[in-house]
Amino acid sequence: MRAPTSGFAQRLTGRLLSWIASFIRTLSKGKIESAVGVTVGAVWVLSAPLFLICSLADFLDGGSDFLPLLLTGAAVEIAGLLVVRLSSFPPKLPISRLFAAVVCGALAALIAVTAAHLATGVAHNLDVALVEAAATITGTNASTINPELLSLGMLLFRALGQWLAAAAIIIVLVRVLPHLGVGGLDADGGVATRSARRLAPRSGSTMARLVTLYIALTGLLGFAFLLAGMPFKDSIVHALTTISSGGFSSRLGSIGSFDSAPIEWVAIFGMFVAGTSLPLIFRAMRRGDLHRFVRSVEFRVYVGLIATVTFALLAWSDGLPSAASIRHAIFHAVSSISTTGHIAGDFNAISFGGEALLLVLMIVGGMSASVAGGFKVMRFMVLGQYIGRELRRSVHPTVVEKIHLGRSSIGETALARIIGELFLATMLLVPTVLVLSADGLDLEGAFTFAVSIMSNVGVGFGEFGPLKHLGSVGAFGHLVAALLMVIGRISITPVLVAMGGIGEPAQSAIRRWRMARREVVIR
Amino acid sequence: MRRIAVTPVRVAGAALIVVASAMAISAIVALLDGGGGAEGLFWSAVITVSVGTGLFFGSNVSPSADSALAFASVAWSWIAVSLAGALPFLLTGVIPWVRLDDALFESVSGFTCSGSTILSDFGLVPQGLLFFRSMTQWLGGMGLVVLAVAVLPALGIGGLELIASEAPGPTADRLSLRVRDTARRLWLLYGAVTCVVALVLFSVGMSVFDAVTHAFTTVSTGGYSPHAESIAHFDSFPIELVLIVGMLYSGANFSLHWHALTQGIGAYRRVSEIRWYFSLIAGVFAMLLWINHGELEWLQNLRESLFYAVSLGSNTGFGNSNYILWMPAAHVTLLVLMLVGGMSGSTAGGMKVLRLQVIFRYSFRELLRARHPNAIIPIRMGSTTIEEQVAAKVVGFVLLYLGLIVAGGIALSGLGVDPVTAFSGSVSAIGNVGPALGEAGPTSNYLVFPRAGRVVLMALMALGRLEVFPAMLMLVASTRGIAQLRRRQRLTHSTFSH
Repeated sequence: MRAPTSGFAQRLTGRLLSWIASFIRTLSKGKIESAVGVTVGAVWVLSAPLFLICSLADFLDGGSDFLPLLLTGAAVEIAGLLVVRLSSFPPKLPISRLFAAVVCGALAALIAVTAAHLATGVAHNLDVALVEAAATITGTNASTINPELLSLGMLLFRALGQWLAAAAIIIVLVRVLPHLGVGGLDADGGVATRSARRLAPRSGSTMARLVTLYIALTGLLGFAFLLAGMPFKDSIVHALTTISSGGFSSRLGSIGSFDSAPIEWVAIFGMFVAGTSLPLIFRAMRRGDLHRFVRSVEFRVYVGLIATVTFALLAWSDGLPSAASIRHAIFHAVSSISTTGHIAGDFNAISFGGEALLLVLMIVGGMSASVAGGFKVMRFMVLGQYIGRELRRSVHPTVVEKIHLGRSSIGETALARIIGELFLATMLLVPTVLVLSADGLDLEGAFTFAVSIMSNVGVGFGEFGPLKHLGSVGAFGHLVAALLMVIGRISITPVLVAMGGIGEPAQSAIRRWRMARREVVIR
Repeated sequence: MRRIAVTPVRVAGAALIVVASAMAISAIVALLDGGGGAEGLFWSAVITVSVGTGLFFGSNVSPSADSALAFASVAWSWIAVSLAGALPFLLTGVIPWVRLDDALFESVSGFTCSGSTILSDFGLVPQGLLFFRSMTQWLGGMGLVVLAVAVLPALGIGGLELIASEAPGPTADRLSLRVRDTARRLWLLYGAVTCVVALVLFSVGMSVFDAVTHAFTTVSTGGYSPHAESIAHFDSFPIELVLIVGMLYSGANFSLHWHALTQGIGAYRRVSEIRWYFSLIAGVFAMLLWINHGELEWLQNLRESLFYAVSLGSNTGFGNSNYILWMPAAHVTLLVLMLVGGMSGSTAGGMKVLRLQVIFRYSFRELLRARHPNAIIPIRMGSTTIEEQVAAKVVGFVLLYLGLIVAGGIALSGLGVDPVTAFSGSVSAIGNVGPALGEAGPTSNYLVFPRAGRVVLMALMALGRLEVFPAMLMLVASTRGIAQLRRRQRLTHSTFSH
């Protein structure tokens, strides 16, 4: 019975996605050949329904935010239509433009969500609105706002924003990243492990399958939350933010404020799924073949990491492990590695060693081809192999070795890309920690928070308490945090390359000028 | 089997004899000073020299030499020397026998030129022992020069061969064709610089004892001081200035200094690493000035910021104030300095500026390649390019280095140290700096770490000093040696039984 319905849902989603694509394509027949324009316009056009839904929900709930949301939505829609109408997709797309398109798409989403925050008066300053918007579209649980004071419309808006952003990540993962070689599915010169391979020959149908799965999982999770005793509205919000590894909550104390074991277990399950590779889940579900999970090396390491850290958290805590402390240890480990950032139990009771381990989990992040942030388990496995290879090479200098992950081998290009990415991220982290510590955080808080927002978690350690860091920094810190979140989400290479692309005309002008000068000198 | 087992023993024996002579000199110093401790130093010298001669004459150098053997020699002699260096602390009764690991810590910290101490009350320590302590660092620095000249090039992880590619000319690489000759020249330079620093320190008002011990620890970028307050004890700007120059000099490449002495000052200009080294320290100095400008009076700020930028930039670890009282942002910049360290081929620890340079170039090449996927871009350093193999080695090294820092930080915080102290302690130990952040600042000592944590730190110091790879390879070589031994035994057994 399951197969026909899921097939139907798949076809429906596929139809919907292709309809949207053709809609954008028919619209974009403008004069300006610009992929950036089309992407920005498409993001705005497609995000408008989000405003509409939330405004409707707010209207039904009797909240105050329905009019601002409606108006902002209309403005965004009009602007989007305008931009799309004026531009058209270029027949040939150089890779730098593709990078620029991805980055500008994210910025467009950022602008739309910022506008909503400003219009509804949730955030009074531009910097606060920007950082809230960045947290929404990158799925980071860092906020300066008390969610309990938000209207239903705005609450839903932020949760849906996180959910949609993660759905967009799936699409980018399948459609765009392979061209960029930054480690998407089945990337060209990227990493094609068995757990992150495309499902169908056409990227369109792969996309449809994954999005359907994502929607189904969200529904399942919402239902589970409801069954576990969460109120209806809360379970919708939490289902949306958990499966997308976003982490926004409708309560100030996150999941922990419900103080209920079943709810926490459901959240653990949801976060765990959010950090797992979606194609892997799809394959395993389709055949009913759970052995696929066991066969995936990355999944084994993912589970192993969670188990190890859980064990260490328990071993390093005071007192004997009880049912609650075990649950909370698993919760924190899963919340960190899936970069969700939900909180339960006493966060301040985590020992120093546990804190360090959770931070490492945040850096590691979820599996490749999942919606989680972070650096990804697979990449770290590759790095470990790389170190081993270099060690062996210093004993046998002429040895030629290929790095394997399970049954697939990793190309040298992809290897270099992964390493470059890691180093650039580390280099970026240093000035960020500097700014955050200069802007009001202590060293521990600044470091953990910087790492955390770069991995799109949002929870920090230190004297401020887990969720207070963003509120403790000033305007400059907010801007830097917003930037870091966005960079963490779309990884640093595209951002820097896109920035280089922007500066390209200037560069070529300088080069021409230099050449001209040299010619003069030679003469 | 022989190749593995014999040469390291002989090298270790030779190293022990050298250390024994240092103990004897310290015993004489103790006698002259009359503050006690001469007897303990004398007996440790006797024990060390007897073990050393036993090892030295009981073995011979194996005919063939390969890189694994060289690593094993260096690593094992370092371990032997560290064990011997713990003896004087125990035999003079400064550290009781039940705290054997602490004596070992002090010794390891000395020979690795780290300068982190567990001595809390310097008034009770005999002057002779303090002299020995400084001397361990000086000897450790000497050993390092050999490491840079003879061992690391074989590994290709940023020894002299990287410099060599930059400085043109036939004698660029090792100064001379023979390793022994090169080492002799570098030792000459090393000794000469020590003498100069000692003389200048004496002339600006230090006592003879202080001048010599500080010269020892400055040139080796170790950072031990016979005073608990380190340089703040003298509170003299001229002394600080002399030390700053000395630290800057010792944090730079020694073979480069040799070139500069023989070929003129232009030798410096040919190497891009030195530009990076100076700009890094200058950058951090400017940063510290800016961060501290509201906190400190401007002259004080200038003095302290400059001193710490150089002291931590060369991974020496002298202190002239307590930087723990500074702003958190200042701590971040100091941590970066601790991580990077001095130039390659110097006595400074850390990741080395050269490797930072390679990493920078590597990462930016990846950016360029992301944009132009088919481009073939060499990694340039100054005017030359670096081979892919070498770049891969450097990358592997840095990854392992960072991994070890994280592992050390986790282990320490797991033992109950707060994360800032734990991770900065890990960075400081593997970089052989000395002071860390948090509770383990320049005015504090390493007793703030739990006992098990000090063992972790000790391991990190040794790993950092041996440039990680040789230490790892030592383990590999040893297991291989044992395996070969077994195989040989099995072979002889089977021939006898037939």
